[in-house]
Amino acid sequence: MKIYINGQVFELSHLPTPMNITSVLATSLPNNQQQLSFALALNGDFIGREAYDSTHVQHHDSIDLLFPIVGG
Amino acid sequence: MTLSIYGQQLNSRLLIGSALYPSPEVMQQAIIASSSQVVTLSLKRQNPLAQSGEKFWRYIVESVEKNHGFLLPNTAGCKSAKEAITLAKMSRELFKTDWIKLEVIGDDYNLQPDPIELLIATEQLLADGFKVLPYCTDDLVICQRLYQLGCQVIMPWASPIGTGKGLMNPYNLASIRHRLPDATLILDAGIGKPSDACIAMEMGFDGVLLNSAIALADNPVLMAKAFASAISAGESAYIAGTMPERQTAHASTPTLDSPFWHNPEHNQ
Repeated sequence: MKIYINGQVFELSHLPTPMNITSVLATSLPNNQQQLSFALALNGDFIGREAYDSTHVQHHDSIDLLFPIVGG
Repeated sequence: MTLSIYGQQLNSRLLIGSALYPSPEVMQQAIIASSSQVVTLSLKRQNPLAQSGEKFWRYIVESVEKNHGFLLPNTAGCKSAKEAITLAKMSRELFKTDWIKLEVIGDDYNLQPDPIELLIATEQLLADGFKVLPYCTDDLVICQRLYQLGCQVIMPWASPIGTGKGLMNPYNLASIRHRLPDATLILDAGIGKPSDACIAMEMGFDGVLLNSAIALADNPVLMAKAFASAISAGESAYIAGTMPERQTAHASTPTLDSPFWHNPEHNQ
């Protein structure tokens, strides 16, 4: 299965299906990134942390991880 | 006097951005020097390995705590109501605030807000419990619509973001103040000099939000202090009540009992 995280392709065919967001992040991100503060959108829709376990990820889904930055 | 943001009373009427500073250290010093209690920041898709955002964020949080203030996340870069709504929800979770500086850009050239998408996003976010601070143009009717939707705070621009052109349309801004006397009006974007902020406060605006004018100054920390002083001066002037402008000259020195050389007969 192929998904996109911040536009980067990830092949996750080795994971059991259905996959949820928690398992995708655990597999795709190094530990130091998982510990950072971020918020997540799946295919353009916000997914709260409380829903990571219950939200399934499909082939060609796109995940956006957004991090705090400066702003005006 | 205090500034009210959806019932939250603040001692400073300056809202400050956290971008464009030469370093996180200078940013932090400038924020603290400004005494601002509202600091804007954002969310972006970036390479988390760089972690530069984490460092800035840590400095921002420290600055806000020092000034006993609050974070104000924005939706910069969004071009549709849907994008802005998604980003607002992400910000609420991450920054643990229901305040959102709502930006929906409609034109890439002057970064002018899209009023249609802005109204759509505002209505949905208010219904979802957000306290929306919409960034808009100086169009009176758009400001009225935002107020009617339930925005207690409205933030018309002075001029396009980052231009430093100051108040492009003082008449429009004065009209908004006059027609929306109960709204909290914050002038946002385009401020170049402390005198611009002072003029806005003299007009009766409740606050000023700016970033570039401080961050891009040769000495951002000193400029932050200058803006704080200018905003305080403008607020005092508004409360004091400025004299009416007159078309003709009026001597300020009393003319009664003028010395003889002012007598027309003496000059003949």
